[in-house]
Amino acid sequence: MNAVITCKEVTKTYGKKKALDHLSLSIPGNGIVGILGPNGCGKSTFFRSLVGLVKPDSGQMKILDRKPGWKTNKDIAYLPDRARWYPNHTVDEAFKWAKHFLDHFELETAIKLADYMDIGRDMKVQGMSRGQEARLMLILCIARNVPLVILDEPFTGIDIISREQIIDGLIDYLQERNQTILISTHEIHEIEGLFDYSIFMDKGTAIWSGETETLRAQYGSMHQVFKTFYKRRLERQ
Amino acid sequence: MENQQVGSIHFQIDFSQPLYEQILDQFRSSIAKGEIDLGDKIPSVRELAQALKINPNTVMRAYQELERDGLTEKRRGQGTFVTASKEQVDHFRHQLAGKYIESFILQMENLGYSWSDIKTYMDKKHLGN
Repeated sequence: MNAVITCKEVTKTYGKKKALDHLSLSIPGNGIVGILGPNGCGKSTFFRSLVGLVKPDSGQMKILDRKPGWKTNKDIAYLPDRARWYPNHTVDEAFKWAKHFLDHFELETAIKLADYMDIGRDMKVQGMSRGQEARLMLILCIARNVPLVILDEPFTGIDIISREQIIDGLIDYLQERNQTILISTHEIHEIEGLFDYSIFMDKGTAIWSGETETLRAQYGSMHQVFKTFYKRRLERQ
Repeated sequence: MENQQVGSIHFQIDFSQPLYEQILDQFRSSIAKGEIDLGDKIPSVRELAQALKINPNTVMRAYQELERDGLTEKRRGQGTFVTASKEQVDHFRHQLAGKYIESFILQMENLGYSWSDIKTYMDKKHLGN
């Protein structure tokens, strides 16, 4: 499989803290990739550097064989963590906005997804629950027909019903396209069945990665692996 | 272990084992045992993936293998159906039984049992039960 993303020795420091510490990895294309690790392990910094919001101090990073920048961003749909939308927009207005400003945004797909994820199109963002707004943000992201989708903690602070609707929406939509979707989460249990490939991060570096089915055959569920890994880490400290 | 009922089929998914094999094995055994009737429609890839919360690619791979087994057939625009042929299912069942026995014998031989040991052992086991 061709790598969609490669990192070589990527480092980013904030003051004394190393958010990314000689991160080296290679992510294969066409599938769902789980980026797993506890809070502060460097997941979000890694994602931000993929879309050029963070500039690494050193190391090399390539997306779709190019350096991250505005050119590669056309091909990436990125959902930041804690993403919010304009409160005075309705869903339809948000879609209209997206149609104008986001590359490869497909209005029809968005409408289909909204229907599927139970988001009324005349609904105003202001009046939405956290879960509804999260679903809207996700729709705006995945209705773009781009080769790479990055979802940073799409399930945080969202009720179980919304989470299930998001997962169903992802499955629904996955069938129709060949894309790479990176999902970071620490709520592994509900979604681990979706991961084709898993990467475990800790302290700014990738400590473990591989085909999820292979990892499963060797070590058990990603949920168990996650617990074992980070328990060991806590014990070392 | 997660239990899920999808249509008439019951699934048990264990996330600590490869998912592809679990889906394939559960379909094979449900069809072989007759829990799913001959000619019945099986869930679409999307339905099963959503019910089990697993990657549709994994389901698709398992479905392709079932088709290669001769246990299911795709009908254009209608979905995937269990074969209507009892011979086909019986044939598969015999093949699988043969494979299981071969691997059982191999494992026993690796433990140092001869064929007559194995027979004695099985008779004892059978009487014991």
